[in-house]
Amino acid sequence: MSSIPHHQGPGHAIDDAHAHDEHAHHPGGIMRWITTTNHKDIGTLYLWFSFIMFIAGGCLALTIRTELFHPGLQIVDPEFFNSLTTLHGLIMIFGAIMPAAVGFANWQVPLMIGAPDMAFARMNNWSFWLLPFAAVLLFASFFVPGGAAAGGWTLYAPLSVQAGMGMDLTIFAIHIMGASSIMGSINIITTILNLRAPGMTMMKMPLFVWTWLITAYLLIAVMPVLAGAVTMLLTDRHFGTSFFNAAGGGDPVMFQHIFWFFGHPEVYIMILPSFGIVSTILPAFSRKPLFGYASMVYATSSIAILSFIVWAHHMFTVGMPAAGQLFFMYATMLIAVPTGVKVFNWVTTMWKGSMTFETPMLFAIGFIFLFTMGGFTGLVLAITPVDIQLQDTYYVVAHFHYVLVAGSLFAFFGGVYYWLPKWSGRMYNEKLGEWHFWLTMIFFNVTFFPMHFLGLAGMPRRVPDYATQFTDWNMVATIGAYGFGLSQLLFFYIVLSCIRSGPPAPAKPWEGADTLEWTLPSPLPYHTFETPPAIK
Amino acid sequence: MQTATPQPQNQPRAAQKAASLRIALVLLSIAAVFFGGVILAQYSGAPGVGIGVLGFAILGFLLVAIGRNLRK
Repeated sequence: MSSIPHHQGPGHAIDDAHAHDEHAHHPGGIMRWITTTNHKDIGTLYLWFSFIMFIAGGCLALTIRTELFHPGLQIVDPEFFNSLTTLHGLIMIFGAIMPAAVGFANWQVPLMIGAPDMAFARMNNWSFWLLPFAAVLLFASFFVPGGAAAGGWTLYAPLSVQAGMGMDLTIFAIHIMGASSIMGSINIITTILNLRAPGMTMMKMPLFVWTWLITAYLLIAVMPVLAGAVTMLLTDRHFGTSFFNAAGGGDPVMFQHIFWFFGHPEVYIMILPSFGIVSTILPAFSRKPLFGYASMVYATSSIAILSFIVWAHHMFTVGMPAAGQLFFMYATMLIAVPTGVKVFNWVTTMWKGSMTFETPMLFAIGFIFLFTMGGFTGLVLAITPVDIQLQDTYYVVAHFHYVLVAGSLFAFFGGVYYWLPKWSGRMYNEKLGEWHFWLTMIFFNVTFFPMHFLGLAGMPRRVPDYATQFTDWNMVATIGAYGFGLSQLLFFYIVLSCIRSGPPAPAKPWEGADTLEWTLPSPLPYHTFETPPAIK
Repeated sequence: MQTATPQPQNQPRAAQKAASLRIALVLLSIAAVFFGGVILAQYSGAPGVGIGVLGFAILGFLLVAIGRNLRK
């Protein structure tokens, strides 16, 4: 993953034009990565960046869990604890999950549609290199007077209007990350619409490409809304406006509406690429075509459209007319229909397939199992009177970690194991991969399943201290969190040892894989599909 | 299994670049409308402004798209 060799490996399948790869001129060393416009290099940069942020965000999570091991205040003061929960959320969402998904898109979208690169290669470089600066701003906010933002990743007004300088750095970081996301989305949409190989019609595109096309449209629609919201927050803080400041006639609740108009589609921005990865892995290891391809495309589109009309289910306790509560409750439940179509199709793809259970398949099945659980708890939370009881409890924390960790993250792990042989030209250690899966699966559930009980018993989220009756399950969750965190070091070792010394991978290590990238040699040449292939 | 054979490019590079640029500008303008629209709607304070911006944006993009195809 870290390096693309400049010469061809064995198994060169279709394109002799790649022979001139050996003469490709591009800088070596650090300048290769800073100046690169190659989609594979940029994909690699995104993936390593997201892994570093995942570890950083994970360290914040472990500090949170350490504080919560016992009731009472142990290692951090309450203000800093709130900063930890806020930055954990922001870093994991904007620094880890979204860049990881973009990393997969950079690697796979051009390869899967037979394009030589992304449509705007220089803008692609810029999209990535904005991110480290945003990350530095976020981490720097811990060290400024007043500390980092502490009002939760949702940055609700009026807390965010009153917060210290750390909030300004957070706002600036969000602007930068938003710009990066919008540029990346424009690039992905243009690449898919304009650079497909002859014969690669829209309904022949692999589902991963479809899910990213829809995700990119979602990003174009909602990232500017978030940027607008934090811009208004900034002007409220420094330029005397009162968009969200009640003292000046503003409306703090309006911030919540605008934020969640971004925030709920954002959930699908994080999960749809994972759907695409799982929809690629399952047929390969079931040795059957994906069941209901067209219905998968329509279901993904339906989920994206419905995501725009459910935002206020995050705000049932804020107060709204009963008709509004009913509308948002039923609209939210409606999302279960296309999601159910997808789960049904995944299960049916496996039905009577010649299944094998290599690591990518284990993560894909783990994804289906745990994501479905997260989906069901989402349905529970969609019921207005239940949500009013469970609002801001650990039940909500359990729900969205089942969706985003067991959902997005499991799919990304599966995707890395699936494509690593193609990217690096080397095989990973299958036995260790399976260990990684089982440790992750077990410790994930040890960490987050007890949070359902804590939430149902009434433990509020975002508190550094709690009543003593919650102690036992908090201890279990903390032990699980350490196990989960340590398991990810194994993932790092597996990837590193694969890249450095794994046995050579064949051009197509997975028997059932049938997308375009597997027609290319492993490792991939630096430039691919310079002459577009014709798809039959 | 998708199979692939090398094919000559069916669209000249300059034309493809121009088409890509057009798509990018349309997408960028959508992002700009959403960004400006949400601030304008809040700034004016009138409840109809937000939906107005959205409506005009949808109609505007639709008219431009139809107009471009009519010219062809």
